Amino acid sequence: MSGFIRFIIRRTISIVPMVLLIVLINFFIIHLAPGNPAQIISGLEQPSREVIKALEHRYGLDKPLVVQLGIYFKNALKGDLGYSYIYSEPVIDLIKERIGATLLLTLTSAILAFVSGTFLAAWSSRYKKGILDSILSILSYVLYAMPSFWLALILILIFSSNLRWFPTAGMFNVRLSLHGFARFGDILYHLFLPVLTLTLIQIPVYFRVTRSSIFQVSRDEYILTMTAAGLERKKIFNKYVLKNAILPSVTIFGLTLGYAITGAALVEIVFAWPGMGRLMLDAVFKRDYNLLLGIYFVLAVCICIAILLTDIFYAILDPRIRYK
Amino acid sequence: MEVQTEVIVTRRKGKNIIKFWHNYRQSLYGLIGFVILLLFIVVAVFAPIISPYDPHAMKGEVLLSPSISHPMGTDHLGRDVFSRIVYGTRVSLSVGFIAAGLSAIIGIFIGSFSGYYGGIVDEIVDKIVDTFLMIPAFFLILIIVAIFGNSIFYIMLVIGLTTWPQNARLMRAQALSLRERTFIMVARATGESSIRILFTHIIPNGVYPVLANTALQMGGAILTEAALSFLGLGDPNLVSWGKMIYQARPYMTFAWWTVVFPGIFIVLAVVSFSFIGDGLQYAFNPKLSVKQKEVSA
Repeated sequence: MSGFIRFIIRRTISIVPMVLLIVLINFFIIHLAPGNPAQIISGLEQPSREVIKALEHRYGLDKPLVVQLGIYFKNALKGDLGYSYIYSEPVIDLIKERIGATLLLTLTSAILAFVSGTFLAAWSSRYKKGILDSILSILSYVLYAMPSFWLALILILIFSSNLRWFPTAGMFNVRLSLHGFARFGDILYHLFLPVLTLTLIQIPVYFRVTRSSIFQVSRDEYILTMTAAGLERKKIFNKYVLKNAILPSVTIFGLTLGYAITGAALVEIVFAWPGMGRLMLDAVFKRDYNLLLGIYFVLAVCICIAILLTDIFYAILDPRIRYK
Repeated sequence: MEVQTEVIVTRRKGKNIIKFWHNYRQSLYGLIGFVILLLFIVVAVFAPIISPYDPHAMKGEVLLSPSISHPMGTDHLGRDVFSRIVYGTRVSLSVGFIAAGLSAIIGIFIGSFSGYYGGIVDEIVDKIVDTFLMIPAFFLILIIVAIFGNSIFYIMLVIGLTTWPQNARLMRAQALSLRERTFIMVARATGESSIRILFTHIIPNGVYPVLANTALQMGGAILTEAALSFLGLGDPNLVSWGKMIYQARPYMTFAWWTVVFPGIFIVLAVVSFSFIGDGLQYAFNPKLSVKQKEVSA
């Protein structure tokens, strides 16, 4: 067990330089952006001399660049990301209000894509080189090439505009004030199309990784030995091949989450989902740099944590990894 | 002597191309992708001849559904959708080629230097590459374009500058393994300079996985440009597929063609690059096809 704890500590330490690098990138962008850094942090178009002075003092902008960088690090790690110019609120508060909705969308779709992608790969690998396998393979190329926002629009065209099965926008019906189970159902109803979009664009990643690892594992010697020993093929596949072939999919789960969040931001905009995507769009249109950088920082930290968690989960599944 | 070696080199190159093509053909996807890309290039080059109308002309009737005179209908300003798609090909293809090309060049240099020399620089590069691979580049691209400007050259440049780490990782792995090979050691023992070894041996022998990846990144760059345009951050002076979807969105429910057709072309272009990546993998790694045949038999 101590090996496991040491593994967790080592992995946790290894994400520190990544977070630092993100902060460093943000710092440079603020300083390279047109305009005065104090003005950007203040979130005001024309801050008064006093405000500038106060901010320069607070963030140490009157000190040498290296010192400034240190102060910026300290503030970012404390969660002080400055003020948003369009909302005149601290950036971190704005993000806190909306991150839940984004994570709900991203995680639900990521898990669904993981399960269905793996299942489809296992199913199609039984019919290797058959028609089903070819269709799924081409479909995976097409879905992988599909812009998430376009797929979202097409699904709205079909299921909302024409069939009128699902709502076009929002997270719940604002006209009804539902409570308890009814509210939960209402959210699920609104969640369906955005999650379907995001799941569809992520499936190809899991499908391809699992497919090629099933292909690889089934050529492993121990599998050949079992076949030679006369074990039932179906049993070998379900009990040994699949179990080992799923492992690579687990590792890419954390990495795919970054891709999922990008997709989620765009899909949120299409469905007017009250998450960070909408916030990001507002920030882009009104050139709210501070808000943009804050969103980038928070998303990056979320992804780092997700990758750490998947690594730990992976180590639980596959004990060999802990001692590498 | 000089001339003779040159002849031998070119002859070998010719043979390599034939061999390359022979292996590339093993992949049906690769062939299809190649044909689609050729068609796209023709459309992009001859856009003024192919498009029936001026892509900016607002002469036709507004939101006409597809007909013989307007095969893909007209948009909310009465512009011909098909003509705009034809011109949009130019933007998408150039973004794909230039952004991914830049990414490949940077990745090849940084990856081969870092892998060949090793040491502390290599460790730092590896950490930076790790970070960039985990954090989605799209948000960084978005921020930079929003802050510093959204001309098409800027967009290409930023995509290239943020997507090189994948290539650097592939090239680094190649350099690490080539470094230990006998012919490199011989070159080093005979006193060839490190730079010369890098450029004449390491890069030419190890570049193949980067090239296959570059085909995929071309598709990725097209998707990124489309997403930026969809957010209203596309080049204001050009017609692009993403921008067409962005502008048509409010009219979508009663004019589906304005949104559906540009998207189909994005998918086609990106799929063709993915297919080419598949073909390149066969061409550079012929064992792949042998293995697969073995299993299916």
